[in-house]
Amino acid sequence: MAAIEVHQFAQCITCHAWNSDHSMVAFCPNNNEVHIYKLFQDKWEKLHVLKKHDQIISGIDWSASSNKIVTVSHDRNSYVWNQEGSEWVPTLVILRLNRAALCAQWSPKENKFAVGSGAKTVCICYYEQENNWWVSKLIRKKHDSSVTSVAWHPNNILLATTSTDGKCRVFSTFIKGVDTRESKTGTTSDSKFGEQIVQLDLSFSWAFGVKWSPSGNTLAYVGHNSMIYFVDDVGPSPLAQNVAFRDLPLRDVLFVSEKMVIGVGFDCNPMVFAADESGIWRFIKFLGERKTPSSGSKYGSQFSGAFGKFYGQSKYGVSNDGVETSRTSGGVHENCINCIVPIREGSTSRTTRFSTSGLDGKVVIWDVQNQEDLLDYL
Amino acid sequence: MANTLRLYLTCIRNTLDAAMCLQNFPCQEVERHNKPEVELKTSLELLLNPERLRAIFQVLICRNEAEKCLIEASINSLRISLKVKQADELENILTKKFLRFLSMRAEAFQVLRRKPVQGYDISFLITNYHCEDMQKHKLIDFIVQFMEDIDKEISELKMSMNTRGRLVATEFLKQFM
Repeated sequence: MAAIEVHQFAQCITCHAWNSDHSMVAFCPNNNEVHIYKLFQDKWEKLHVLKKHDQIISGIDWSASSNKIVTVSHDRNSYVWNQEGSEWVPTLVILRLNRAALCAQWSPKENKFAVGSGAKTVCICYYEQENNWWVSKLIRKKHDSSVTSVAWHPNNILLATTSTDGKCRVFSTFIKGVDTRESKTGTTSDSKFGEQIVQLDLSFSWAFGVKWSPSGNTLAYVGHNSMIYFVDDVGPSPLAQNVAFRDLPLRDVLFVSEKMVIGVGFDCNPMVFAADESGIWRFIKFLGERKTPSSGSKYGSQFSGAFGKFYGQSKYGVSNDGVETSRTSGGVHENCINCIVPIREGSTSRTTRFSTSGLDGKVVIWDVQNQEDLLDYL
Repeated sequence: MANTLRLYLTCIRNTLDAAMCLQNFPCQEVERHNKPEVELKTSLELLLNPERLRAIFQVLICRNEAEKCLIEASINSLRISLKVKQADELENILTKKFLRFLSMRAEAFQVLRRKPVQGYDISFLITNYHCEDMQKHKLIDFIVQFMEDIDKEISELKMSMNTRGRLVATEFLKQFM
């Protein structure tokens, strides 16, 4: 079994994040709060509730080394939470947005974070020592629709975004005084802040869930038309591969290694994609086992129920000759999975464990180490 | 059950399964609002296009001219409109009255729309909030079950109506015997 731990934390979870040693988890139970749970001898206990936002929280990220939590919400605000003693102290980030913030991610060096928004902009936020607050620089007028996902390249400069206009874009986010020149790679050394490196127009539906591979050589994102896209050599002449699959669309992806990607989404079951020796990506299998649905439970519709009551009759029972009931997933998750987070041990680039959370309120930890057929790709 | 009805319902079920991939999505046009995009239609790119043509964002499934089902999808909501078979004027009146009765009690059904889309008898509006609270396959089962039951319901109403009419006529004519 690939799923090693299942925790039912809430009714519904929009996003979650782990601290550096994975002893604490922060998640949003589909409202304006962030709950932080800590593991005390195989029991999860609620430690803190962070209440500052006034609309649903759409993104959480927990920085590993500086131990700060960034939250963004549909109320257009973002807070950086810093632990002082046993309290979490929020600092307001001046996002200068006039629409909802949709996603957030810390940069690899944790001196910046990116926020994607419904205002068709991306905010790159950094800390200003002299004023003691987080300020943001905006990438404007590049997106034609809401920015659904952001991902940092390991070099701390390049940022990939996906948008509901179906495009994936890569920007340079070099900020004077925050980034230093030598941290940049040769090809992008002359780019300034907000410059678009490449625009990928592969999907003809909304694009979600962009991620870089651990080395930063490959970019993966998904389209709502049940496609996943892999892009190599991001730059002036990118190489793209489209992989179509027969199941429902994905919401988010995660690189487990350079050659293996896990996709999660509306099918409620993580999918494994892998590249063979020649670099061709294909769908391998579902990670959770799929049980065959048990002899479809009878579903008395509210409609016939209401009618039975109204007429005081029982003749409106459920008919036996109905069309077959929809398949139930039978997997670990019972509703759409919308968040996948790696669980990294030490400083290795290899991730074998990761966690997923979904609208069914479960946080599930998966391990691909014990999957023998997948070991070649790790 | 007739074979054609089964095919029709299976087609609707599969289309709904694919179209009901909804997520929480705040409004791009109005600050701090969150509305079903399928009703507003302010941002065309947020409506689900089955084909690359930007204007088409609907799927129409027809069993015949009188019976059809229109499915419109967007990023955070889905609208299903049904046209129920009406063979004669009596069925027409019964359908109208019956579906009006249901529509007026829309809040009890949660996913029912108060007013049908023009040209249709009854409409459902499913948002991402319904998908969060309820299981998706149960929602689809409900819609399909509803479609199955509605025809049965109408023909039963028609039958009891005729029986009643005959009874009344018999009673009425008795006094002249």
